Amino acid sequence: MRIAVLLSAGLHPVSGASVLPRVEAQAIRMAAGLGEAVGLHAGPEAAALAEALGQGLARIEHVGIAAGDDPVPALAARLAETGPDLILAGRRSQGGDESGLVPYALARALSIPLVPDVVAAAREAEGSLRLDQSLGRGALRRVSVRGPVVVTCHPDAPAPLAYAFGRARRGSVATLAATPAAIAAPTVAVEERPYRRRPKIVKGAPAGGSAAERLKAATGEGGSAASGRLLIQPDPEEAAREILAYLRQIGVLAAAGAAKSKT
Amino acid sequence: MTSFVPLTTVFPGLVWLMAALALVQGLRRAALWRVGAAAPVAWLEGLAKLPRRYLVDVHHVVARDPYASRMHAVVAGGLLASSILTALAILPPLAGFRPYWFLVALAFGVTAIGSLLVGARRYPQKQKRLSAGRFQVLPFLLVAYAVGGTITALILALGGGGVFGSVALALAAAGGLGLAFEVRHGPMRHAAAGALHLVAHPRPGRFEGRPDTALQPLDLDAPRLGSEMPADFTWNRLLSYDACVSCGRCETACPAFAAGQPLNPKKLIQDLVAGLSPAEPAYAGNPYPGDRAGHGERGALARLIGPDARIHPDTLWSCTTCRACVEECPMMIEHVDAVVSLRRHETLERGALLEKAVVPVTELRQSGDPGGRPLASRTDFAAGLDLPRIADREGVDVLLWLGEGAYDLRYGRSLRAFVRLLREAGVDFAVLGAEERDTGDLARRLGDEATFQALARENIATLAKYRFERIVTADPHALHALRNEYPAFGGRYTVVHHTALLLELIRAGKLNPGRLPDLSVTYHDPCYLARYNGETEAPRAVLDAIGVTRREMTRSGRRAMCCGGGGGAPVSDVPGERRIPDIRMAQAAETGAGIVAVACPSCTAMLEGVTDRRAEIRDVAELLLQAVEAGR
Repeated sequence: MRIAVLLSAGLHPVSGASVLPRVEAQAIRMAAGLGEAVGLHAGPEAAALAEALGQGLARIEHVGIAAGDDPVPALAARLAETGPDLILAGRRSQGGDESGLVPYALARALSIPLVPDVVAAAREAEGSLRLDQSLGRGALRRVSVRGPVVVTCHPDAPAPLAYAFGRARRGSVATLAATPAAIAAPTVAVEERPYRRRPKIVKGAPAGGSAAERLKAATGEGGSAASGRLLIQPDPEEAAREILAYLRQIGVLAAAGAAKSKT
Repeated sequence: MTSFVPLTTVFPGLVWLMAALALVQGLRRAALWRVGAAAPVAWLEGLAKLPRRYLVDVHHVVARDPYASRMHAVVAGGLLASSILTALAILPPLAGFRPYWFLVALAFGVTAIGSLLVGARRYPQKQKRLSAGRFQVLPFLLVAYAVGGTITALILALGGGGVFGSVALALAAAGGLGLAFEVRHGPMRHAAAGALHLVAHPRPGRFEGRPDTALQPLDLDAPRLGSEMPADFTWNRLLSYDACVSCGRCETACPAFAAGQPLNPKKLIQDLVAGLSPAEPAYAGNPYPGDRAGHGERGALARLIGPDARIHPDTLWSCTTCRACVEECPMMIEHVDAVVSLRRHETLERGALLEKAVVPVTELRQSGDPGGRPLASRTDFAAGLDLPRIADREGVDVLLWLGEGAYDLRYGRSLRAFVRLLREAGVDFAVLGAEERDTGDLARRLGDEATFQALARENIATLAKYRFERIVTADPHALHALRNEYPAFGGRYTVVHHTALLLELIRAGKLNPGRLPDLSVTYHDPCYLARYNGETEAPRAVLDAIGVTRREMTRSGRRAMCCGGGGGAPVSDVPGERRIPDIRMAQAAETGAGIVAVACPSCTAMLEGVTDRRAEIRDVAELLLQAVEAGR
């Protein structure tokens, strides 16, 4: 299995030093368990790439583009050329624009599916991949995919391996010229405001109630999650009935009795 | 004697044969050291200083166990004297001189007494720290050689002989040749390798009375980093491990062993010895706690560290680098250097730090602080105190190096006390503020030499910008790095520990503490101050100056026990049966003192974290501030 790991130019949140984002180091660890991985970075300089070498990548391709240019066409062109079976990326970079959109833009450019927020990946028989997707609050969904796919790594994936200076010394960074014409990065219209810490709003939390009750609500034990029903491989008819019942319950569809009385 | 050759020739001939056998066996072993890397050795100087190193430096350590010291004086002295005297009797004038044989008999007699002393340590019950195996045979060989030799020499002195003489000679031959044979794998190797080790010691500075404790810098451009297999060590390090006599003094001193973590310094050294040759006899001492049997491959090119290799990674990461084993080793072996060299390979080449240690080392590399905290918030502890920045000054007497402890809420109290004392005494001082990075001590002990060197270079460049007379720090780990390890990278500073500066200020009359006679205090020596830098007196003198009742723990000064906080052990956090600081606090409780005085942020954090502790943990500076305030 040939794997490309996308690397971004991250900045340390405190020191501002150029570093490999943690979630990308996790992606490298994930890749190491699957097969031979090559790093891919598009950007003006290769300063932080030595760190990715130290995390276990033996080879990194660096596509040189000017600062401020959109990396997606350069990356897409290179990926179309090499055609890896799996493209791994971090969920989002750190310290830059952190839009988290590059993997999606790449998947669209290459017309291949994207599986976000993966915490574990394993190879299955006949070349397909088994991915565990994080749904938040510890819930996981297992999916099987085949063929080229973009996968983004979730911060809950196994912690990154230690950086090894010797590996960074042995690894190589190959600089490639960008093939397509440079395109300026799309400017996203954003409004900038100073960060303000806000209390986390818990849906459906009892306004009064004891601390234990509020905790229960916050952790979902007594909330919507607790009232749901989990059906494992249900009969299609039964599943349809359940979905209809649920939609009626939350008021999307009219109640069964009410519908009859109208007609 | 009825044989063709007279006994006066056969007996000295036996000793010459023994010498030849010992030489052959020694050379067979020495051939293995040649797989090691080259090392610069000052041969002539080493040879000239050998008697002094043995009789002064080695004796100083051996004599901590007076029995062992006396035993060696008698048995080793007797063995050498009797063998040399007998060997000389190959000269006809001596061989025919009967009183000479009385002298030889006397020397053998002394050896015989020594042999019994050797035996008494092992029979009927061997001391717990000693190894069994081939060492259990040693007393028999010694007794046979000494008793056989005594009788043979007496026969030669008195005349006579016959069958009785042949039996005595056969006994001496069995014992003597057995001893010579043991030079390759057995107990007698420690004598041959030990003497050579004293000549070719990798840290000759140890014998010059100065603490030679700085880790040697690693050339980061070298083809291989650190030690993966025996052949990666320098040849004189391999020789030094062969000097190990398995006395087990290191294991009784080792805090990790005491805590039931999987480290036994003796077994570690013996694993390095055994790793060198597949023919090495089985280890017969105490195992690594947890009874993890390491049955990996052996040989000069076999990997030493790994879950399936001879040394489990947990063993390697248990070490607190406290140097207690080095301090106790009568053979002057450098265990900590071996541990760090092995760690360097694990960390630099394989990225095999224990999972818990990855985050602090990564943060250290990326942000200059193991906690990833902003460097500017290092001075937050001093909110409300006037803490001048050196950037705002033309130059100061004292640069105060705050260290990592400044981020800690508890230790911030100690630093506040120290800063107030500096103000009180009118010391002209300043701090680097946001420009101070970590010294890299943690990274270096965990084998990440690349990060250490990068931090050292950055700090040295920062320090070069400013003018100051000396650096004062309350952190012995920072002190050791700045004083002893930065010179290799071009940073030479006068570095003083805060307790030494406080003593100086008291003696100069700039601080006038009152007396606190109601307090009973026991002082816990930080390893990096006492053992690494030999400073044990200043903190005690400060405590005496404030008139507290000072009590000593059984293990104090250079032989104090570690708090468990060094060498990255707390971040690696290898599980054991007990915790090291709990053991140390129990030792402190034995003194009955109500206060344990500390002088190191790591010790403060480790000892303060002990549950059920009755004694209070106070930094020397805090106690002095209390006395100064009482004296107003």
